[in-house]
Amino acid sequence: MINFEKVNKYFGDFHVLKDINLTINKGEVVVVIGPSGSGKSTLLRCINRLETISNGMLTVNNLSVADKKTDINKLRTEIGMVFQHFHLYPHKTVLENITLAPMKVLGQSEEEAKQIARKYLDKVGISEKADSYPAQLSGGQQQRVAIARGLAMNPEIMLFDEPTSALDPEMIGEVLDVMKALALEGMTMVVVTHEMGFAKEVADRIVFMDQGQILEEAIPAEFYENPKEERAQLFLSRILNH
Amino acid sequence: MDFAGAYTWVNIKFLLEGFGVTLQVAFFAIILSFFIAGAVGTVRYAKVPILSQVFAVLVETIRNLPLLLIILFTFFALPEIGISMEKIPAAIVALTIFEAAMISEIIRSGLNSIDKGQIEAGRSSGLSNFQTLRYIVLPQALRRMVPPLVSQFISLLKDTSLCVIISLPELTHHAQVIYGQNSGYLAPILLFIAFMYFAVNYTLSVISRRLEVKKFNPPGSDSVSRIFPLYS
Repeated sequence: MINFEKVNKYFGDFHVLKDINLTINKGEVVVVIGPSGSGKSTLLRCINRLETISNGMLTVNNLSVADKKTDINKLRTEIGMVFQHFHLYPHKTVLENITLAPMKVLGQSEEEAKQIARKYLDKVGISEKADSYPAQLSGGQQQRVAIARGLAMNPEIMLFDEPTSALDPEMIGEVLDVMKALALEGMTMVVVTHEMGFAKEVADRIVFMDQGQILEEAIPAEFYENPKEERAQLFLSRILNH
Repeated sequence: MDFAGAYTWVNIKFLLEGFGVTLQVAFFAIILSFFIAGAVGTVRYAKVPILSQVFAVLVETIRNLPLLLIILFTFFALPEIGISMEKIPAAIVALTIFEAAMISEIIRSGLNSIDKGQIEAGRSSGLSNFQTLRYIVLPQALRRMVPPLVSQFISLLKDTSLCVIISLPELTHHAQVIYGQNSGYLAPILLFIAFMYFAVNYTLSVISRRLEVKKFNPPGSDSVSRIFPLYS
């Protein structure tokens, strides 16, 4: 479904992604971990062309993401994205945040869009906040709205860029629960996170990155029990034993 | 000081006529400069190739010239290359050129002040560049632009008085005409026109504050009223 083939990316002289080869299949939950600056977020952001790749081949649903002929706006409707800092639209109510893209991009009627929005708000457990503004919600609630906003487009893939890193500890659980439920339903998910518990429990595969390279790819049990790469062992010992 | 002599009905009527011209010139200059500035500011924000560089040069040039010079130039120099205008259109053109340059900067910086994450959220949900500008960036930027825009409009209205240099029959010009006849009228007449300028401009700023607090700030957001409680 998502396929990286020898993908490189530079920011000026800085080589952020080095020869990335990665295939993500339909229904898979892939968790990308690694130290900060390792290129995990950039990798994720390439998938919906928030970042452009420098060379190599990146396809989503067999469409080349970098190709100028690819209708990127159409491709993006298939890919939901959740950001570290939520990025809800502060001038719109929760409901309006969710219905904007379905109405303007998919051409849904307001009625239909609202109905779908309410369904997803219900799913993320905050249907009572439909008419609130983002600033009136807690961080955890905002992030759940952001997830509902992504889901309302009925995407095939959901990308999560450190979705819990900006949250107070007591709110992390509520967001992870929503993500777990989503994974169980078979959503294809690529998640950049430091939440090791989530990775262990939910991921089908762990991708470990360092300095722009994928150093190790493994199923969680294998990765956590017995990381092959020295860099991965060091990383795990640092974040697990503190 | 001769208040009784200064405040005759004839004089006041003459001042009101002048004020009519002031308001007329300011009104057209505000409307025109706002639309031109909207286009210029958006083109520069969107970094449209070539056009945005051309606008950048124009804006920088105009912004760094005195308005008085632009007024003089429009009325006295342009006729030498075949563009001659009556006083009122000349005043409107001169003010529009200057204010459009200033306002385009307000619009550009207002658009730029919106967090890039907002744009990424919009684009990643499949909205086009234009839709993202229209539904996400602009409504938020507009809210932030209201205070500097209104203060620029107030400046514009006050700056119409510089048009005395081309004898535009506006408020300050008419005041000069009246106290030119009798120096005892000078202070009373200046006080009177000061009051007129103040009344209109103060009304404008009160309206803008209302707009800012009530219309543009959704509850719970970072509003001016929260930072400066006096505003609400």
